[in-house]
Amino acid sequence: MAKIAKKSKPETIIPTASMSDIAFLLLIFFMVSTVFVQEVGLRVTLPEARNIEKVPRRNSTTIYVDRNGNISIDDFLVDIPTVQDVMVRKLYDDYNTIAAFRTDRNTDYGIMADILNQLREANALRVSFESRQRR
Amino acid sequence: MNFRKRKRKTSGIPTASMSDVAFLLLIFFLTTTKFDIKQGLGLVLPPPAEEGAERVRVDDQNIARVLIREDGRVALDEEEISYIALESRIRTMVAENPELVVSLSTHRRSRYHYMIEALDRLRAAGADRISLSTN
Repeated sequence: MAKIAKKSKPETIIPTASMSDIAFLLLIFFMVSTVFVQEVGLRVTLPEARNIEKVPRRNSTTIYVDRNGNISIDDFLVDIPTVQDVMVRKLYDDYNTIAAFRTDRNTDYGIMADILNQLREANALRVSFESRQRR
Repeated sequence: MNFRKRKRKTSGIPTASMSDVAFLLLIFFLTTTKFDIKQGLGLVLPPPAEEGAERVRVDDQNIARVLIREDGRVALDEEEISYIALESRIRTMVAENPELVVSLSTHRRSRYHYMIEALDRLRAAGADRISLSTN
């Protein structure tokens, strides 16, 4: 009688060793490709101060002022007389808006004085001068 | 001739240290991630002067006039003073008179960080009532 060899059933195995590689690859891909919505603002070097306090992020409007006197709110370049209108609109949306200044340390104070006047006219009275912690 | 089957070496990637690597990466990113925290010197501006409204009169005795010149020199009541001395002087003045209003007047062409430095000193000295102005 002929020897009938039992056909060996091919075992089906999914290799799981490289599973983590795939997982990491996906993780890294999404980490790299995710872009958070972020205000670009202007390039400023903040002044330093010691007695700083946290500014609540929720209801603050950042006003960028760079050393050349450019003013940016919500990534729109505005000029000094427009600040009032913009802030009035902001206050309409949120009554407790804090105007947080990100002003370059070498900006002329005159620009700041003009903007502060505009804020007063707009009734945006809570302001904050952002600065880095001095050590 | 030697036809012995050569023993094949099993190739394996050690996975025991995989978790170490993962944790290392996790901790690395945990420590290096910097959230964008807003912090700065807060201030509340006086409301805009309305037509016909009575202006708030502050007794001359209750005002300390701090002046910042164009080149950043600071003067308290017309008298040149250093920033450090300003802090201690204001501290004693506030202790003597809690009603004290500090008027911080900055030259228009002065640098912004001089104003922040002075404001920081005033804060450290415990002066709560600060008014900003320019000349």
